[in-house]
Amino acid sequence: MANQEHAHSTATEHKDLSALAADGSYDASPPLVTGNLAFDDITEMVSKHAEKKKTPLMWWILFGIGLAGSLMLFALLAYKIWNGVGVWGNNQPVGWGWPIVNFVWWVGIGHAGTLISAILFLFRQQWRTAINRSAEAMTIFAVMCAGIFPAVHVGRIWVVYWMFPVPNQMEMWPQFKSPLMWDVFAVSSYFTVSLLFWYVGLVPDLATLRDRAKTFWRKRVLGFLALGWTGANRHWRNYEKSYLILAALATPLVLSVHSVVSFDFATSVIPGWHTTIFPPYFVAGAIFSGFAMVLTLLIIARVAYNLENIITINHLEKMNIIILVTGTLVGFAYITEFFIAWYSGVEYEQYAFLNRAFGPYAWAYWIMMACNLITPQLFWFKKIRRSIPAMFTLSIIVNIGMWYERFVITVTSLHRDFLPSSWGYYAGTWVDVLTFIGTMGFFLTLFLLFLRFAPMVAMAEVKAVLPEADPHHYEEGDGHGTGADVAFIQPAQETESSPDTDPDDAPPPPDAS
Amino acid sequence: MKDSVQRSSLLTWLADPLQATRDTAKRAFQSTTDRRVWLAPLGIGVALLVLSAIGFAADPEQFYFSYLIGWSFSLSIAIGGLFFLFFQHLTRAEWSVVVRRIPEALVWAFPALFVLGIPILFGMHDLYHWTHEELYVEGTPEYDAILAGKRAYLNTPFWIGRVVFYFAAWTLIAYKLYTLSVRQDVDPDTDIPAQQRTVSAWGLPLAAVTTAFASYDLLMSTYPHWFSTIFGIYFFSGGFLGAVCLISVLSMSMQRGGMLKNVVTKEHYHDLGKFTFGFVVFWAYIAFSQYMLIWYGGIPEETVWYKYRMEYGWGYHSAALLLGHFIIPFILMLPRFVKRSRPILAFWSVWLLGMHWFDLHWVVAPVLNEQGGFHWLDFACWLGLFSLIVGLVMYRLSRHALVPQNDPRLAQSLRFENA
Repeated sequence: MANQEHAHSTATEHKDLSALAADGSYDASPPLVTGNLAFDDITEMVSKHAEKKKTPLMWWILFGIGLAGSLMLFALLAYKIWNGVGVWGNNQPVGWGWPIVNFVWWVGIGHAGTLISAILFLFRQQWRTAINRSAEAMTIFAVMCAGIFPAVHVGRIWVVYWMFPVPNQMEMWPQFKSPLMWDVFAVSSYFTVSLLFWYVGLVPDLATLRDRAKTFWRKRVLGFLALGWTGANRHWRNYEKSYLILAALATPLVLSVHSVVSFDFATSVIPGWHTTIFPPYFVAGAIFSGFAMVLTLLIIARVAYNLENIITINHLEKMNIIILVTGTLVGFAYITEFFIAWYSGVEYEQYAFLNRAFGPYAWAYWIMMACNLITPQLFWFKKIRRSIPAMFTLSIIVNIGMWYERFVITVTSLHRDFLPSSWGYYAGTWVDVLTFIGTMGFFLTLFLLFLRFAPMVAMAEVKAVLPEADPHHYEEGDGHGTGADVAFIQPAQETESSPDTDPDDAPPPPDAS
Repeated sequence: MKDSVQRSSLLTWLADPLQATRDTAKRAFQSTTDRRVWLAPLGIGVALLVLSAIGFAADPEQFYFSYLIGWSFSLSIAIGGLFFLFFQHLTRAEWSVVVRRIPEALVWAFPALFVLGIPILFGMHDLYHWTHEELYVEGTPEYDAILAGKRAYLNTPFWIGRVVFYFAAWTLIAYKLYTLSVRQDVDPDTDIPAQQRTVSAWGLPLAAVTTAFASYDLLMSTYPHWFSTIFGIYFFSGGFLGAVCLISVLSMSMQRGGMLKNVVTKEHYHDLGKFTFGFVVFWAYIAFSQYMLIWYGGIPEETVWYKYRMEYGWGYHSAALLLGHFIIPFILMLPRFVKRSRPILAFWSVWLLGMHWFDLHWVVAPVLNEQGGFHWLDFACWLGLFSLIVGLVMYRLSRHALVPQNDPRLAQSLRFENA
């Protein structure tokens, strides 16, 4: 058809599409909660797991495993503190081995929780409500696991508090010029804000649990934690304001924490470490690994706790898309680093990267490449994005790949120092390996306790994204509950000026501040 | 493409690959101006470029540098427009539908920018030190071992081939995004939103890689010894910021001209303002990361780039960049009312467009001039090229509906509110 034929006849011709668009059948986004759940169903489905008397056998089995891992962790930490860092594989010049790798891996995992709760909130991504509670819990526990490694790596752990600027008679202060010092502040403020954010979000749900509580102590404890929440209009108003402020504070933290972690490496002049792309590249990698961990945990939890209607396959697919995007970003950074190392003309840089890909640690490099850049590309296929077995496998692969990324960065740049006399091969010892496995047990213990005692889904937030929560849901014809008979083009709600006045000339709106 | 919208003749293809569809636009979305709206900026652009040509006769080297800066400015903004569209389509954004036609018209700047880039080819000897043949003759005092090592990448035929490839990629993506959307205005194929998402999905990685390498080739290699892995992201962050600012400015100026009344509201400006603010911070984050890591490392091969930008008056430029591109807008754009007030947001958008050019000037000009400051050609080339590009954007906007009028999310966008 030529465009002339369209002139003056568009209004009728386009009604089909307009109608489709208006009644939501055109390219409609799927509902966030499936299974026709009512408000009460959501309360029941989520709260009952925190309230039931009988704990499932599977929980006890996993808790036993987690507890065993935690005990092993604490035993090995005691062993390490008694004997010193020598029980680890660290040597000269590889002064940073598994401990820093594990630290970065765990901190990175935490980032998904903050991204979901803060950045996706600011971007009005309502699907986040189904997963933010458990992801934030994961963040807090992951940061706890991460903090263990640098703390015990300081050597003389009994003076670990010297990392904080505590006034003292010796006038000794931390080395503020050291990025390791910045890490202390970055990670501790990250932990504090994450914990606060998590707790503020929990308050309405804790009040729900309090109102359902039957026993004396349960009522008292939940009553204390719920801060006198009654669901009053004023409470919600304050809640939403504080939530927005905390989201705004947590958003730069998503970027800053892992940027500071990347500074630990990039401020040095070690080939392979000193490269300016590190901060954004580390942040992308952190989100990548964090989402993989959220997937791993929630794929199991949603089935174990019958939450498939709240954490739907569409939620999982969206997370897979984020994994695809961030994984590709990370891969892009690998290629950029490699290219610029060659372009720089600095022979040490060039050697560092060739050594990574073809040296004694080539096996680790290619594991990293395969897990982080290549296999996540499978998520281009919608079938794989929506297949539970495939995404579970890929989430594990990404977790492995991101551990190897940090291993490759740390070890390949250190194990061949500038002088060939200080070249060697580094490997972790059994203490390294078992300590790392121990932190996984510690994490599992904490996460199981969370699943058992706290509302694992943000009930109040999920209810707010149900269609019934829209104040106009049951109304017709006001332009909000649009039916097919409502005109497609609705004048937007321009409140600050009448149509006659030029909006540019109007004074600033009164509600502006 | 199906022929529901006819392709335009070869002559006008550079300006708009499609025949005008203005008559099919709903009245509320029709451009109501005459041709002055695009003729005026085109005229100013041509006049300034003629003036620049006089400057070329006087000082060709300065002309080439000024021209590269001005051209990169418009190019980076067009690239920013591409990324803006990718993000909107891939996230199925609702709020932005009413302003989306502006970046759609913007991205067809690539063919014109390609033609306008031809003068740079003639100035390569002045702009790019690595084009000098004597650097590669071993045994001579001019021999440069580092650049000889880069010669496999930095050589004129390969450089031209790469730039042609970048433009081919950008033009292809822009063509798809622009024509799909205009076609939807007259032929509401229910398949179009999915196609727009598909183009955005493969366009995003393609544009990301080409943008990064274009920034190395066009800007970073003006000082060919220096290298920084974050440079591509730095270039992207400024361009995206510029694109968002240009969208705000063009939307407001059309509203001043009586168009899009009650279509684009302060709610949309609020979101554009948040994007602007966000990218002010993102740019600062990237700029700080690059500066801090190089400063901290203290390796002379890297710090030298900043050293040139710290002395002989360039230090004032560096300080002004820090203040004007980050600190001042960061503080003053924080309040909510700033983003919801058209005059104030207009001020900051124009300010930041200026700062983006200042940033590119700071990146490129110290390669030529040891002394800080500006040459009148800097302004003539920058504003001449930019006026030309804006005139072409206005030309395209005047030929089609001002809003993607059949987009299925238009209704949500029209009634959008910042909850």
